[in-house]
Amino acid sequence: MRIVAWFLVAVGLVLAGIGVASALGQAGSGAQPWGNELSDNFVFIKALPFVLGFGVAVGLLMANTYGAKVRSDGAVRRWSPGTVFGHWVLTLGFVLALPTGMWQYLGGILDVNLPIPLYLFYRVHYIGAAIVLFAVVAFVSYLWMTGDRSLLIGRGEWGRHLLGLAYELPPSLRGRYAKLLRIDLGQPRPPMGKFTFYEKVVELPSWSILLALITVTGLIKAGRYLIPVPGFVLWLASTLHVAAMVAIVIKLLDHLRYTFPRWSLMSAITTTWMEEPTAADRHGASERSGSSAAGIAGGGDT
Amino acid sequence: MRRLVALLGLVWSLANLVVAYFFVTGAFVAKTAAKEGVLAQVSLLLGGVLIAGFAILLARECLRMLTSASETA
Repeated sequence: MRIVAWFLVAVGLVLAGIGVASALGQAGSGAQPWGNELSDNFVFIKALPFVLGFGVAVGLLMANTYGAKVRSDGAVRRWSPGTVFGHWVLTLGFVLALPTGMWQYLGGILDVNLPIPLYLFYRVHYIGAAIVLFAVVAFVSYLWMTGDRSLLIGRGEWGRHLLGLAYELPPSLRGRYAKLLRIDLGQPRPPMGKFTFYEKVVELPSWSILLALITVTGLIKAGRYLIPVPGFVLWLASTLHVAAMVAIVIKLLDHLRYTFPRWSLMSAITTTWMEEPTAADRHGASERSGSSAAGIAGGGDT
Repeated sequence: MRRLVALLGLVWSLANLVVAYFFVTGAFVAKTAAKEGVLAQVSLLLGGVLIAGFAILLARECLRMLTSASETA
């Protein structure tokens, strides 16, 4: 299976290379009456099917790295190497796409032009967006192949998870949160599995919604020169794209705020392994939030 | 390593505070009101406040990491 996956990745890479090269060749031939921005837009949208196909193939390869493992020293593999790879590719895409997208928006609001031409911001934004889309498709392909649903909350499990989340919140927020969602804090604290309640209730749903929103709206915006898009739909897509960008900026700050003090989570997303949290972790995260953040109850990796 | 991550986090927080400043000030500029309307002004204000709030929370965590790293060193 692994050989087939590597073969598909190689074929996908070659096809993606050909697709991108032909789109670049057409845009750079001088035969088209396109400006820099429009030219980059066409390269992006025409190269996208090849990039997405390559993402599917890479997702198949990522799925080959899936499987529960425990090291001799007791460390548990929390994320598969495929997931770690996809996470960092996604990070790279955001590093390129977020600041450039933010500047496109803020530059318009502030009515400021930098000495750098605007089309270069768009170009980097398109590269970042292509990387994000590649990673998203690779993750979908990976999840499809592995059938892993360990971060999803099953039917009838929401009550337990919302209660568990209450105990992970700072005490100052806990009471208000419980009152708002009518959670009985008299119930015992539910045991945590491999992932924290915050990761399952807040992180995965919010990232999934925001990624879906920014990719769908971005595709509508980018595809408008190839397929006619009604004015209202385009306006809505543009508005929601900006809203999703701002929400991602906020979510990213929250994600870093949550993971940095829980150093074992940072180690896991770099090395794939979850070791016992250090005393500093416990002091830095658990005592403040009431969460152990270890979440290493075993089971398959994600 | 923790110190480097904390420093990068601080830089990211500061960059986001700058963005938040532009959002909030942009909300009160007459040009925004004329070009984009009240809804955009409210969105800019809300977005700016939220970005600033979360950037401060991240900066606080990074400063904690830096101080705990220097205590253990």
